[in-house]
Amino acid sequence: MLSNFTAIEGRSFGYWKLVTFFAVLILMGAGAFVAVEIHGHGITGMNNKIAWGVPHVFAISMLVMASGALNLGSMSTVFAVKQFKQFGRFSAFLAIALLIGGLAVLMLDLGRPDRLLLTMMHMNFTSMFTLNVFLYSGFIIICFLYLWSMFEYQQYTKVIGSAAFMWRVILTTGTGSIFGVLHAREVFHSALTAPTFVALSLSSGTAISIILLVTTFKHTKRRLDDIVVFGLRNALIFFTLLVAYLLVVEKFTKFYSPAFYDVQNWILTGPYSWLYLLGVWGAAILIPLGILFHPSRGNSVKGVLWASISAVIGTFALVAHILLAGQAYPLNMFPGYEVSSVFLDGVTATYTPTSVEYILGFGGIAVAGIIYLLGIKFFRMLPDKAVAPEGYELPWNP
Amino acid sequence: MTMDRRTVLGLGGVATAGVVLAPGMTLIAAPPPDKTEASSDQRWAMLIDVNKCDSNCTACTKACRQENNVPLFGDPNRDIHWIRKLEIRDKEHRRPSVSLPVMCNHCENPPCAHVCPTQATFIRKDGIVLVDKHRCIGCRYCMLACPYKARSLVYHETSRNEDSNPEVPIRAKGVVEKCNFCVHLVDDGKQPACVQACRNEGKHAMIFGDLNDPQSEISVKIRTVKTQTIRADLGLKPHVHYEGL
Ligand code: SF4
Ligand code: SF4
Ligand code: SF4
Repeated sequence: MLSNFTAIEGRSFGYWKLVTFFAVLILMGAGAFVAVEIHGHGITGMNNKIAWGVPHVFAISMLVMASGALNLGSMSTVFAVKQFKQFGRFSAFLAIALLIGGLAVLMLDLGRPDRLLLTMMHMNFTSMFTLNVFLYSGFIIICFLYLWSMFEYQQYTKVIGSAAFMWRVILTTGTGSIFGVLHAREVFHSALTAPTFVALSLSSGTAISIILLVTTFKHTKRRLDDIVVFGLRNALIFFTLLVAYLLVVEKFTKFYSPAFYDVQNWILTGPYSWLYLLGVWGAAILIPLGILFHPSRGNSVKGVLWASISAVIGTFALVAHILLAGQAYPLNMFPGYEVSSVFLDGVTATYTPTSVEYILGFGGIAVAGIIYLLGIKFFRMLPDKAVAPEGYELPWNP
Repeated sequence: MTMDRRTVLGLGGVATAGVVLAPGMTLIAAPPPDKTEASSDQRWAMLIDVNKCDSNCTACTKACRQENNVPLFGDPNRDIHWIRKLEIRDKEHRRPSVSLPVMCNHCENPPCAHVCPTQATFIRKDGIVLVDKHRCIGCRYCMLACPYKARSLVYHETSRNEDSNPEVPIRAKGVVEKCNFCVHLVDDGKQPACVQACRNEGKHAMIFGDLNDPQSEISVKIRTVKTQTIRADLGLKPHVHYEGL
């Protein structure tokens, strides 16, 4: 099964329509950034209790997906899953695109983005942020080397691919630890937050790859065998179960400790419970699993596509829940006491995001989108047909 | 049209050089300015006697606002409070409620400084935790990390007016700030504005002083009466102590 890699033609009206659409979104995102620069974060919905809002949800979800996008490459290089080898280039390139999109949002949402270089000049190695600066820049370099080796020096692909695999596990651990290490935040302070992010990156990275492969191959009229998609489906099932497992273990442990009753009950019944139940459990876990295990829908590419879309929406929901519910839950400064003040101590924070925040977030998605679209046009990223190795059969089907 | 290998490698090389060189800027950038002229001979701290604190007195919060040009924007979600009055009451309502001021605790192990990517938040040798507003990039990570909600982002532009304190800068949009133990007054040998206001009010609920000086009023008190800090279990070693909590 030797794949021939070719760039897409990218001359159709539909292609340029999509590029233009993303370009317009990027321009709007830039406009939102300038507006926040001029007027301050006062024009966002963020406040002193919800200091990280919708832009962070977009940014962190994209960073999580970026590391997960490398999955297909890792599966072929590290775990020798042959039928994914043809997606190695796509996988490394998508990882770079998503990472750049996510980082762009993160940086443009700073209160003083003009001072960004200070993070390079006065590094603080106890900060998860500083460590992440290294992890993210290193990831881009490794992904590029990985891509390069796949293009030019295949003898190094295994070594670089393995390094990339380890790096991405550490990278997502770093992203999850931004939250997990914060002792005072009861909703997300947990040693399991980072592993949950790693599992989430695997499921969401696989899901976004499925979505892009199926749609790209369809619109470029390339052949993508169902069995290849079903192989990805099986991976998506496994990774989604992994996310569910970690969430259950976390809840299970916390419900054994009366000290956590308040916060756990709040998660299940409080103002953000809809996000937890519908977004996290519904969109990220139960809906995809329900579709993928279904005897007919699970065995149709369309069904797998819808399950993947739900998984990606669920990823945003999970990140949003950790971030927004995590900050909205009042800090427990006096355990066992009711607290009140003019500074809104003791009450659940309210947060109504404004349009500039969404525009900034979608701008980041558009950055990743345009990089992807131009990448597959100008470089030979995609196989001209995606087929399974001869005689290959899936070990399992619903 | 497909780019040839050279172009791919060239583009990648430029990108790689960019990411590699950027962190390397440390090597050529000026070293961080010496963080402090302060001396570790002192360890500044505060002691608040909640028995003397009156629920409808806000002398300390007003004084802080005035001294440090801390603005109110008329939006409770965004108003900045370097010090605020809290009412606390046990959940079963068996005891009367207690009123106390809460501000930055100038923790000995400050998570805000640990997470700050630019060292804009740092701890001085004398224990005062400060924010260098010229180095803060407004990432707000410290706001998530502080267990005492002591920090606020300045959400809007602020300006000087005739009531502003000319000795102190106005608060800068886009950066995060908090109580600085009135460092400008303390370095001048004076008391923080909130402590002075409490004294002027005749309450004497707040004492500020040097824990390294065994004769100081605060040292004597902490040795002789039962005091505690907020959420001591977090291990941050706050330096705002409370009596009668
Ligand atoms: S109270 Fe909060 S802001 Fe003040 S030093 Fe401690 S962690 Fe930092
Ligand atoms: S907001 Fe400023 S002070 Fe706070 S962590 Fe970020 S750079 Fe440091
Ligand atoms: S010590 Fe100064 S800055 Fe801190 S609360 Fe008191 S008056 Fe405000």
